[in-house]
Amino acid sequence: MLEAIGSGTISLAMAKPSELPSVDDFLPPEILFQGTPFAMNRIILVRFVAMVVILLVLGITAARAKLIPSRWQGAIEWVIEFIRDSVVYDTLGEVRGKRYVPMITTIFLTILVFNLCGIIPGMNIAATATITMPLVFALWTFFQYMITGIREQGVWGYFKAELFPAGVPWPLYIILTPIQLLEMIVVKPASLTIRLFANMVAGHLLVAVSLAFAQFYVIEATNKLLALAGIGWFALGFALTAFEIFVAALQAYIFAILSTVYISMSYPEED
Amino acid sequence: MNAVAAGNGIELFIPKLYDIVWSLIILLILAVFFYKFFMPKFQAIFDERSAKIEGNIQKAQKARDDADEAKKEYEDQLGKARVEASQIRDDARAEASRIVADARNRAETEANQITENAQRSLRSQQQQALVSLKGEVGTLATALAGKILGSQLQDNAVQSSMIDSIIADAGKGESDGQKA
Repeated sequence: MLEAIGSGTISLAMAKPSELPSVDDFLPPEILFQGTPFAMNRIILVRFVAMVVILLVLGITAARAKLIPSRWQGAIEWVIEFIRDSVVYDTLGEVRGKRYVPMITTIFLTILVFNLCGIIPGMNIAATATITMPLVFALWTFFQYMITGIREQGVWGYFKAELFPAGVPWPLYIILTPIQLLEMIVVKPASLTIRLFANMVAGHLLVAVSLAFAQFYVIEATNKLLALAGIGWFALGFALTAFEIFVAALQAYIFAILSTVYISMSYPEED
Repeated sequence: MNAVAAGNGIELFIPKLYDIVWSLIILLILAVFFYKFFMPKFQAIFDERSAKIEGNIQKAQKARDDADEAKKEYEDQLGKARVEASQIRDDARAEASRIVADARNRAETEANQITENAQRSLRSQQQQALVSLKGEVGTLATALAGKILGSQLQDNAVQSSMIDSIIADAGKGESDGQKA
């Protein structure tokens, strides 16, 4: 659809912006410590800035936390309580959920801030917009639900419950077991990773393309009538930016709640 | 849209070593921050707050219990005082009626006494009058009879027996009159 809109407009205008966003935006060149395992590119710098912002803002908030909260502290507390009650306790229950609250809070708040970097002027790219960051979060969830399953049901008990679900006629295990294994080891972490990553990539491309066209029609194009089209593109870019804020929060929420659900699936079923 | 498709798309999905390294380092730092500082800090605030609220609720409960107790005590005392007052009133009323009754009795007794005394003194005076009258009547009668009979009654014995019989008759007549 994006391509259709883009190419349609281009053929109409018989011109195109000199610089369009591309997947190269997500593969920026190394700018520090090139060639070492500690090489840094633009996205990693964005990630560092986001980390420092989290450490400073939430650290100062926590250090100054009082019994009677200020408005800002109240807002932070609302987020913490939302994750604890609506995400973790509603899924796992309070007894089981208690130990996962810090993990899910870390995942939610970090992904939220990292995602929001995508619409911060100057950063303009989500810190989660390389495959690695979502993958690291997904692996954390993966190890957490594996460990939980083994701790709660034993190695044999956990794999048996996962790979050979009870109440299925045994010939079905021939096809069911590989699917279950694939789901446990690949599909769950991969779906977490790709959902987040693809959302960030798509969001960045949509916003950047809209704004690039707005820039092109308003400033670069010689035909000043086309500035009207540029205003349309700018309005679209504006709307998509607002939409990206929503997507940033939504994806953080989805990642957090799916992690919780995967962990809860590692607990033995109660009948 | 050649620009968007530029570059090898598959590269996007291949993690780079340095990216893995930095992602892990950053996540580790953030996780330590959240696990060791941020969450415990807010947990402590939440716990302290709920403890405080609970404490306040208990304090309020205790205050209410105390107030209830005080009210009950006060009401008990009030009831007791009321009973006591009515007791005192009853006692006073009984005392008053006793005093009145006593006074009446005493007055009645005194009145009776006075009446009796008056009657007694009346009777004795009457007696006295009667005795003196008897003497005087005797003398008067003797004198009268002496005057009437003159010297006929020289004999002293006849004289006194006649006088006595006259007086006895007069006394009987008088006592009959009094009875009637």
